[in-house]
Amino acid sequence: MANPLTLPMVRRSLRNLVARPATRKYPYEIRPSFGGARGKIEFDVTTCNYCMLCMRRCPAEAIRVSREDRIWSIEHLRCIACNVCVEVCSKKSLSMSNQPRKPQTPADGVDGQRPGHEEWHLAAPDTTGAPCPDAETPAAKA
Amino acid sequence: MKRTVIPFGPQHPVLPEPIVLDLILEDERVVDAVPTIGYIHRGLEMMVERVEYTEMGFVVERICGICSFMHGMGYCLSLETIMNVEVPDRAKWLRLIWAEISRIQSHLLWLGLGADAFGFENLFMHCWRMREEILDIFEKTTGGRVIHSVNRIGGVKRDVSDAELAAILVRLEELGKAFKKTASVFATDPSIAHRLVGVGVLSPEDALSTASVGPMARASGLATDTRLGGANLYDQIDFQPVVETAGDCLARVAVRLREVEQSIGIIRQAIDKMPKGEGLPLENRPRGNPAGEAFTRLEQPRGEVVYYVKANGTKYLERFRARTPTFANIPAMIQLVKGCELADVPNIILTIDPCISCTER
Repeated sequence: MANPLTLPMVRRSLRNLVARPATRKYPYEIRPSFGGARGKIEFDVTTCNYCMLCMRRCPAEAIRVSREDRIWSIEHLRCIACNVCVEVCSKKSLSMSNQPRKPQTPADGVDGQRPGHEEWHLAAPDTTGAPCPDAETPAAKA
Repeated sequence: MKRTVIPFGPQHPVLPEPIVLDLILEDERVVDAVPTIGYIHRGLEMMVERVEYTEMGFVVERICGICSFMHGMGYCLSLETIMNVEVPDRAKWLRLIWAEISRIQSHLLWLGLGADAFGFENLFMHCWRMREEILDIFEKTTGGRVIHSVNRIGGVKRDVSDAELAAILVRLEELGKAFKKTASVFATDPSIAHRLVGVGVLSPEDALSTASVGPMARASGLATDTRLGGANLYDQIDFQPVVETAGDCLARVAVRLREVEQSIGIIRQAIDKMPKGEGLPLENRPRGNPAGEAFTRLEQPRGEVVYYVKANGTKYLERFRARTPTFANIPAMIQLVKGCELADVPNIILTIDPCISCTER
């Protein structure tokens, strides 16, 4: 049987007993995110012109856009935070926040929506079948 | 003698990933092992038919969380070959640096898992504490800890400033010093030697005949390393493949221990040699759709990976295929398991560093 004090790990373990812990007391102490970290997609409903480019380019099929019903929605649980939609958005309606999404339970769904699902409606649904006006027109700004 | 069949996995305390193996035993000795591949098949290769080739790189990265950077890089390199795109110099160097950082990350992860497999919980935590530092570097430079999404066809999306690269190097050197102490535990602790020395010996002939790759082959004395081919700027780096000759479990651990230090050296050389300055071009984005086919080989942390891409002139590729290193190492693993004691099976399986997400995609 080897002498335990000659074992290299025993000394380090004893030192660890009195050393500062390597972990944080989450959630009381939260590490701030790094500047360029990709956390969560943020959407600005007032500038979107429903061009649907983000939906077409999303590799995870997380974004759904409907011109007729004027709905822009995202499934955060499908989103892979690759930043493609932010890069292709010509109206700069999409941005990447460096904060990750907070954990949710089924009870946390806002307005009866599923957790992880976010949906925006721009003005009233357009039932006339008229082509979608672009963002400069007053109707879209409403 | 009566034979017993023991299912090993997909759920097993020692396994980080769901490998499926039926062990056939005579008493305590394993006489045969039957692997089954496909338990976590997700059909990622098929997605090229639905996702445009420009965005597919971000899906390819998600084949596996540990080799994510190199998967994205291999896919982009294949398409750059098809479309004849010249990647700007700084982007090439950044890719090399990130690739080596991800090798350090993967080896630290594995060393921790290996320590856990032979019952050294304390060492496992030490390795993973060091890995956290590497993940912080990734989050700072690429924006993601595990899935980086910085590779794009024709270059990289982000630049890392020269000051930040210097800071990363300082951090890695400090990490290297701390790592040396941990590495000495792997090398000198008698309880580790008791579990690993002489267990699962793969002779150089067997390593060759089973076509094993990466640290597995190098631990058996074969100096194979895809990086030696010199592609992706490795011809400008001075390095020698890490080779051990014992071929047992401890040799495979030793190869990975030395490769961590080697990668820090490669990063130091790369930061030295890369073109400096702000605002250098990072991307040379191709126009049009690709047509043709290409093979790409890379040295992942687990060994050689091969990508095959076939494009037909539309924005959707016809075929994408990845032959991953774990898949190449499975025949050698089966050979090692035959004839060993049941209690040694976890160590042998873990030392090939199985990545089942990659293998089954």
